[in-house]
Amino acid sequence: MELKYYIIRRLLLLIPTLLGLVLLVFLLMRMFPDTYLIARYINPKSGIPYSVQAEQARAALGLNYPIFIQYFFYLKSLFTGNWGYMSTPIYSGPVLQGIELYFPSTLQLSILATILSVAIAIPLGTYIGARPNSLADQLGRIFSLGFYAMPIFWLALLLQILLGENVIPGNPLGLFPIAGKFSLASIPAVPPPWFNPSTGLTGPTHLPLLDAIIHGDWQLAISSLRYLFLPVVTLTLALLAGILRFIRAGMVDASNQEYVKTARSKGVPEHLVIKRHIRKNALIPTVTILGLLFASLLGGVVVIEEVFNYFGIGVLALNAVYNLAIYGVLGTTFIFGVTLMAANLIVDIAYAFIDPRIRY
Amino acid sequence: MVDTILSQGRKTETKKRHPKIEDYSHTFRLLLKNRVAMVGMIITLIYFAIAFLDVVYPQYLGVSNINTLLSFREPTAVTPLAPSLSNGWYNLLGNTEFFSSQFPLLPICLASLKFDLGYSIFIVAIGATVGTILGSIAGFKGGYSDEVLMRVTDVFYSIPFLILALAFIFLLGRYIEYAVYALIIIWWPIYARLARGQALYIKSMKFVEAATASGASTMRNVFSHVLPNVLSPVFVQISLDLGSIMQLFAVLFFLGVISDPYFPELGNIINQGQSWLAVGVWWPIVIPGIFILLFTISVNLLGDGLRDVLDPKLRR
Repeated sequence: MELKYYIIRRLLLLIPTLLGLVLLVFLLMRMFPDTYLIARYINPKSGIPYSVQAEQARAALGLNYPIFIQYFFYLKSLFTGNWGYMSTPIYSGPVLQGIELYFPSTLQLSILATILSVAIAIPLGTYIGARPNSLADQLGRIFSLGFYAMPIFWLALLLQILLGENVIPGNPLGLFPIAGKFSLASIPAVPPPWFNPSTGLTGPTHLPLLDAIIHGDWQLAISSLRYLFLPVVTLTLALLAGILRFIRAGMVDASNQEYVKTARSKGVPEHLVIKRHIRKNALIPTVTILGLLFASLLGGVVVIEEVFNYFGIGVLALNAVYNLAIYGVLGTTFIFGVTLMAANLIVDIAYAFIDPRIRY
Repeated sequence: MVDTILSQGRKTETKKRHPKIEDYSHTFRLLLKNRVAMVGMIITLIYFAIAFLDVVYPQYLGVSNINTLLSFREPTAVTPLAPSLSNGWYNLLGNTEFFSSQFPLLPICLASLKFDLGYSIFIVAIGATVGTILGSIAGFKGGYSDEVLMRVTDVFYSIPFLILALAFIFLLGRYIEYAVYALIIIWWPIYARLARGQALYIKSMKFVEAATASGASTMRNVFSHVLPNVLSPVFVQISLDLGSIMQLFAVLFFLGVISDPYFPELGNIINQGQSWLAVGVWWPIVIPGIFILLFTISVNLLGDGLRDVLDPKLRR
């Protein structure tokens, strides 16, 4: 019963943070002059004359009102899906539509990396943390420090050099493609109706792997799995190193507690001591930092998308920056913020589940 | 000989040092005992020494001006030169190519350290000062100012760092100076939160209560009681952040967000060094990365060591 109230309170706390996020994005926008904002708000490809569109943009942004009122206009346009227009070489169109098209692949990369690294980190961290200062522990520490300190774009380039297909001529390990989402060769000459040749995306989820499985196209599924391998491995290694550090520290911390001594002295078998008494408590501090690690993961996703040419909203954000597409920058900043807020919400709720002492 | 020993003995006997200095020297001795942290500290110091040497004696790198990579350009014979001992120190780590001229890797990597470290220190110093003072005051005062500060940092924390940096660089302009300002804007909330948490804890201590009872004002409390006690976690965070900022700079240059092809910066060198990859030349990518990796690892080791040494629970 209590947990339900905690979750409701936590959900209500989202509202001020969300308003603050919108305020930051809005202030960023208001640093630019009105004419700039109007000129980039309109759709250059629609047939409507510029002056008419400019009036519409002025009305939509509420530019005739004081700045405090403009905030509410901006809020309204965000929630009615009117996020402005962006034109870049790789994507031109309404910002919201671009995010709709490319957000799934960003989410896919981050979720796959999170699941994989947590799934590897918990057993590995348990094994290592139960044997402090052993050889396995030393190796684990070197691994986690090394990958934690490694710039993620450099790790990506190293993996490309080591495992990338056709990167280094004659490399026997070069098995995995380094750019794109799937091989165009696995799309038949007459493409299926769920493939859109103009955007190069598949329907309905825009994720090649999932769509191929939905439509039963196994060739495309295998192809997209191979293309997914290197980006996901890079992100997983980076995240795994971060999580492993904290699990190890938590395990060592928890095994020095009195209740562990008590458990051992009353004759609880060692594997149960590790599983129930040490690991359970070691996971609590790890969960708290998972939100922060996810934030750095999202930053890493941007880099990985660019390095592996895996088109997601990270690439969209970068291209918006390169091409002065202000609404693209604002929209992607907002959506990244919302993603991180959602992740933090999940982490906090998971935390409340794991640790019964936490009730605010 | 005997005299010096005697005088040393006398000195330690008679000279009574200030307790604060005694405390610092004790901390330093503990740090010296921590071998891993020492390795980190020595490597960090070597990096700073190289950067300092580059500022004072740029001619040791074979050029008169290290502020641009153009002065390292050797336009003749664009051929890949692998790292080897036989090519002299200048080409020890091989060479790299961009805009069809060749550049020796070792000197341009060394020249980059000056900017990487200089900007990192600059950003961290300003961010840490502003953040620590704001956080200490807000945490100590509590109430309204605390609430405002926490909500502001909440907003900064709700956007991934790289994205926030992108947005602010977009706002200010895609040049290195503006990128530095952008990073200062996004870097202070870390320290504000850190200092605020610490200040809340210190506020409840007896000595602060005593000071308040004897009429110390808020500012006096903050500056003479809170700040000195906040400093040790701040120093740990500073040492960790030096590595993060170097990486963030490298990423921004690598992605071309800050576009200045001849700026000596490690990420920029990696970005430009990809042109020979098709013929199997890996060292222009791998070697500058090792420079970044080594620095980040060593500041992490140093930071972890400092944390162990400064933490009163783990100390002694």
